Amino acid sequence: MLNYFIMCRSLTYAQKSARVLERAGIPASVSRPPAEAGDEGCAYAVRIAEKNLPRALVALKNAGMPSGKIYMTDRSGRFSEVPG
Amino acid sequence: MIYLDNAATTLIKPYAVGAAVSRAMREAASVGRGAHGPGELAAKTVFAARELANEMFDAGGPERVVFTFNATHGLNIALRSFDLAGRRVVVSGWEHNSVVRPLAAAGAEIVPALGPLFDREANLRAFERALTPDTALAAVCHVSNVFGFIMPIEDIADLCRARGIPLVVDASQSAGVCGLDMKRLGAEFIAMPGHKSLCGPQGTGLLLVGENAPIRPLMAGGTGSVSVRHEMPDFLPDALEAGTHNVPGIAGLAEGLRFISSRGTEAILAHERELCLEAARLLEATGRVRCFLSPDPEAQTGVLSFIIDGLDSQTSAVRLGEMGVAVRGGLHCAPLAHSSAGTKGTVRASFSAFNTLSDAEGLAEAVARLI
Repeated sequence: MLNYFIMCRSLTYAQKSARVLERAGIPASVSRPPAEAGDEGCAYAVRIAEKNLPRALVALKNAGMPSGKIYMTDRSGRFSEVPG
Repeated sequence: MIYLDNAATTLIKPYAVGAAVSRAMREAASVGRGAHGPGELAAKTVFAARELANEMFDAGGPERVVFTFNATHGLNIALRSFDLAGRRVVVSGWEHNSVVRPLAAAGAEIVPALGPLFDREANLRAFERALTPDTALAAVCHVSNVFGFIMPIEDIADLCRARGIPLVVDASQSAGVCGLDMKRLGAEFIAMPGHKSLCGPQGTGLLLVGENAPIRPLMAGGTGSVSVRHEMPDFLPDALEAGTHNVPGIAGLAEGLRFISSRGTEAILAHERELCLEAARLLEATGRVRCFLSPDPEAQTGVLSFIIDGLDSQTSAVRLGEMGVAVRGGLHCAPLAHSSAGTKGTVRASFSAFNTLSDAEGLAEAVARLI
């Protein structure tokens, strides 16, 4: 299964984002992405399933929480940035 | 023992508070450090407490709830966020040293807005006069720790907003007892301890940070975020939370918040006020005690100051302590409040949600034996 990682600048922001998504009916969990995703170190992300990405972005935007960079893992586990 | 020093620290807590502290000490590690089970439990515990506080105080988001070690810590963060050297800062006549001393250390010109004790209208008018265009900040206690006097904080906040003056609220004696709404007040900061009426453990506190508040870290250090930078993060709550959190304390505080939410501050205040009024009635019936009681019951919490004829407050408190009644004597770290009231020290009995009428009666019986 493909997973998307919506990058967050802090743990609290990631937790808040996950809460917004859960309330919108989108399963989400706080995650520590691989080091290459955090260009300033100690990055956090909200992990969601591939199928939920569009709804998740809308839910975050509606909550006044613009999303940061988005990464994905493919079936081989490779981690890469999703072009904006 | 009859414990009536709740304005300093509530000693009797809901059972769940101690249980949560104990569990966190055994099972929770650090927030935002290791991505393992104990670390995740710590993160979830602390975030749950943020959400509870955000909901209780309408803080504008969990990230606007900053954990501190006590109200003094929060007030120092808040007051040091402004450039106050040589500038006019208006305070009430009832402030604790936790407000006065940081202002003095910052070199502020401290201007008390003086009004009579328990006269809310007069105190508000004093603020109307004192909040001049050159005022850099207002720093106001919601409730006097000495007299339980409830300041008209909403009206003062309205004045500050109308005049564009930032406001810092010391909610040390009101959080958990009085309604407190960050959005309604529009304050830059509200600071409160966890260990008083919020029923949390010592070493906990909350600082609510308003949308327009300047963010200036008091301490710098690890936050588990933007770690490659030498500078502190510029976002909340990380900017104001350097170092490891007091996770067991915060876990206990969360249970205290749940207790307050379940009881409701109105019911708690009504209960404490009833005990305060009964204690005052019984004490005054001795004919040798002067109680500081508001003619308007709505203007006082469950904090009762009194003076026993011919006995100084410290000696009174020590003697009562020897008789098994825990009260506090002296200035209560608030010399400004005594100066405003014309007192040189009082005995203070402060009630909590867990006190009963028999505690008020026990206090009066002990005082009667003393005199």
